Amino acid sequence: MASLMKRSVAELIGTFILVFFGAGAAAVTLMIAHGSETPNPFNVGIGALGGLGDWLAIGLAFGIAIAAVIYALGRVSGAHINPAVTIALWAAGMFPAREVVPYIVAQLVGAALASFSFAACAGMDAVTIGGLGATTPFPGITFSQAVLVEAIGTFLLMLAIMGVAVDKRAPPGFAGLVIGLTVAGVITTTGNIAGSSLNPARTFGPYLGDMVLGGTNLWGFFPIYVIGPIVGAVVAALLYRWVTAD
Amino acid sequence: MKCYVCAQQGKTTEAAGICIVCGMGLCTDHMVRSDVDLWEGGYPFPAQKMKKALPRILCPECHAALKE
Repeated sequence: MASLMKRSVAELIGTFILVFFGAGAAAVTLMIAHGSETPNPFNVGIGALGGLGDWLAIGLAFGIAIAAVIYALGRVSGAHINPAVTIALWAAGMFPAREVVPYIVAQLVGAALASFSFAACAGMDAVTIGGLGATTPFPGITFSQAVLVEAIGTFLLMLAIMGVAVDKRAPPGFAGLVIGLTVAGVITTTGNIAGSSLNPARTFGPYLGDMVLGGTNLWGFFPIYVIGPIVGAVVAALLYRWVTAD
Repeated sequence: MKCYVCAQQGKTTEAAGICIVCGMGLCTDHMVRSDVDLWEGGYPFPAQKMKKALPRILCPECHAALKE
């Protein structure tokens, strides 16, 4: 097995790719739609180009990035690229406690580097208009509704990970494809409710980038994207173990 | 079954095994025992080399190809 340092670097790179291409797609969508009339207050710009089609495109950007990372780095670090997944695997007794913090630190650093890199590539409009693809609850969505939808979305993601990858009875080779498409599907359905982060690191990077680069300070929403994904992932991992136990 | 390599050399020797790759019958002089490393894990766990390797019986040709 690769050393913890090498595995942490792999997690950093994987999360960088996820946030650069996934959150970057959300930022670009807002930048393209900037100035167009939105049909209702629930539409903040994503959806202005083609309703759920925008969310499908953003979801596929995430899904394809996730699939690439799983196939490229899955053997090295496990390619969690998500603190909620790391914590859920630890909670289910399948990941060592001493490696949880290094993995999460690497994921957060990778996400932050991705947001700063995206701003460097796309310019300040990516911060002021695109918000670096940060997730927030949409108008009319309460804190508890946002936590609930993030928990349910991450529940499905973790359930897919358990069934397609962790379970030894699963057919090999499909994990990246299925998990990428699962994320794309979840984002398509729930993106316009609370942004469909499903991942504390994915929200951390854009929030930090927005704050440092002069965008909107969104940290008040951050607990949504910590509590929801972690609760959803842990419940899914424990429930899967229980329903499949002999 | 006879050893294929010996047969090519005009000798008749009983085979004691077969190559796992090409199925060629082999006597003990011509069979090569090779240990193939096994890896366990992969997404979402890091892959790690298993303590024991998998022993394989190969003919000289397949062994040479495996080592390339």
